[in-house]
Amino acid sequence: MRNFRRIATGVALGALLAGGAAAQEISAPNLSYRTGPFAATGIPVMNGQIDYFTMLNERDGGIGGVKINFYECETGYNTEKGVECYEKTKGDAVVTQPWSTGITLQVLPKSNVDEIPILAPGYGFSAMADGSVFKWAFNLPSSYWDAASMILKGIGGEDMSELSGKKIAFLHLDHPFGKEPLPYLEKKAEDIGFELVPIPVGLKEMQNQSAQWLQIRRERPDYVIMWGWGAMNIGALTEAVKTRYPMDQFVGVWWSGHSDDLQVVGADGAGYRSISFNAPVSDAQVMADIQTHVADKGLTESDEEQRSEVFYQRGLVMSAALAEAIAAAQEEFGTGEINAEQLRWGLENIDLTEERIAELGMTGMVAPFSTSCSNHTGHSGGWLLEWDGEQFVKASDHLMADADELAEMEVAAAKEYADANAPWPTQECDG
Amino acid sequence: MLKDIFVTPFVDMATAPDFLMQVLWEGLVSGILYALIALGFVLIFRSSRIFNFAQGIMVVFAALTLVGLHAMGVPAWICVILTLGVMFVLAVTVERVVLRPLVGQPDIILFMATIGITLFLIGFGEIIFGGENKVMITEELGIPTDSVVFEPFGGLLILEQKDITAVVVAALLVVALLAFLNKTRMGRAIRALGDDHQAALSVGISLQQIWVLVWFIAGIIALVTGIAWGARAGVSFALEVIAYKALPVLMLGGLESITGAIIGGLLIGMLEKLFEIYWGQPLLGGNTETWFAFVLALIVLLFRPQGLFGERIIERV
Repeated sequence: MRNFRRIATGVALGALLAGGAAAQEISAPNLSYRTGPFAATGIPVMNGQIDYFTMLNERDGGIGGVKINFYECETGYNTEKGVECYEKTKGDAVVTQPWSTGITLQVLPKSNVDEIPILAPGYGFSAMADGSVFKWAFNLPSSYWDAASMILKGIGGEDMSELSGKKIAFLHLDHPFGKEPLPYLEKKAEDIGFELVPIPVGLKEMQNQSAQWLQIRRERPDYVIMWGWGAMNIGALTEAVKTRYPMDQFVGVWWSGHSDDLQVVGADGAGYRSISFNAPVSDAQVMADIQTHVADKGLTESDEEQRSEVFYQRGLVMSAALAEAIAAAQEEFGTGEINAEQLRWGLENIDLTEERIAELGMTGMVAPFSTSCSNHTGHSGGWLLEWDGEQFVKASDHLMADADELAEMEVAAAKEYADANAPWPTQECDG
Repeated sequence: MLKDIFVTPFVDMATAPDFLMQVLWEGLVSGILYALIALGFVLIFRSSRIFNFAQGIMVVFAALTLVGLHAMGVPAWICVILTLGVMFVLAVTVERVVLRPLVGQPDIILFMATIGITLFLIGFGEIIFGGENKVMITEELGIPTDSVVFEPFGGLLILEQKDITAVVVAALLVVALLAFLNKTRMGRAIRALGDDHQAALSVGISLQQIWVLVWFIAGIIALVTGIAWGARAGVSFALEVIAYKALPVLMLGGLESITGAIIGGLLIGMLEKLFEIYWGQPLLGGNTETWFAFVLALIVLLFRPQGLFGERIIERV
């Protein structure tokens, strides 16, 4: 009996200590896709994301003295696996990053019940910007509608008037991600007076887009805007070269601006542009810190070439935004071990000013933005990056999306979503 | 509406014959590549009654091995030989580890085993080569990458030299394969096994040897297919998806017919392209290639359940 008591006491103490140790970290799972047909897009971004938190853990001992357990659950970009991963990781998670618009849309209603913030940086449903309806969802620093707006401004001038009378082909993956900007583009086609020709690409046709590019040859559009992901980008770029479509009239979303994709066409792809909410700055202080605290210690899966590319550095920017939200929440609630509800507050109160970006060692890598209760996107704007035959370089001044017009659309789309999914919980926002 | 279906497409074809020629060429290139993948399926099915789900990932694995070896500094043509060696080792391993223990099991078990092989090759390939895109070593293999431009009827017809090479190599491979199957002892043994397993075994044909051989031939086909597709769209695990395009080819041509795989592939490649360009895009918003081939195959199956060239099964009761 005495032995039993001893064992029981030992077990209880062990559990207590283990519990205490586990509490000294913040769990931030990432529903990654390093495998499957879209892996080429996912790997560099996910390396950047995880390396940033490794750097914070190594350099600063975490955030506010608390280590960040940034771990991955592999989805292969498959919606069913994504939902499984969400369920598996939600236990101690303060945030979930679903990756893929399809997974985001599945997880969206669950987040209201589980009260875990969804962080979908640069992807997902654009109307998530309306924080009064999507209390738990964040798609900072820019949405797909932002991207479409910035592209139209980039090719058509600030008021887009140069697009009047023009023909624009919209080459997109036939998937929720690819269709996301369509409502905005259709509206602008009507308002400005350009002809929009949507050209869908099926998942099985990503690498054989000859039919789509024959259509482009027949339609002779003034511009081709691409909403491509993974293998679709290479398929489109090789066909564009083959059909001799002028590269300076071909513009893609930020997921269509991956250096590895452009390497396949090399110099033939020179002039191709991609909108991006981040720009590569390889001599930034944060890159030096990654080198010292992560790469030199052998704690990264990335190599030097990958670290210089847009996608890897996009991963850093995404994690920096999350880290800022964690820090804001810690400060607000006076605790290092924040919970999901507190992080939600933090995500609503990110204030990434020019000065703060400089403090983070990220000058030039991302534009300033801030979030609020009613603005879950931040609308940072971005730049057009141009492939010069070897790498992406900045090719425009800072572009901002048409915020007022988008705000109206976001509110309307958010309301439509909430009505269709009634009863949908909302929150009151002062600003 | 009727005019859009029955008149306008043909008027478009007649008024822009250069464009029609381009459409047919693109269809031919796609079709011959579909036929190649379908051939891999047919060969294995004929000799073992196994529907090889792993054919798609074998294309990826072969292409990744080729570019992976080249990235290690091995000369291009040595890489080809070494990759063939890897595909042979794979064939032997599959026969020894997966198929031999399952001899006599129902077909569905063997089919499930090929799903297992697929999952293994995906995981193994990702560990060895990573998931990033790779550039096919097209120029290093001596495959020309320029275009040949014609101006038929005052228009424009662009033929990529790598596509021409793919068509020629695929055609040569098919001829060589047919000669092997019809003129050599081993080839006849494969056909005998396909016709009647028990009878073939009773005259001393080695099941193990034949299985290794057909899986190796499927590996060679996978390598050629991988080079051809990889030259067009880079090398990544997304290439696996291409294999699904062979399914309607098999439905149309018949699972056991080499001729069916070739003609089915060419038919589907050209018809789906013609339909997409002249009917799908103007009338249905495009992306009809996703389903057209399956609908065509289903229509054929309504009239010929064994496919265009499949063997009619007559069972006496």
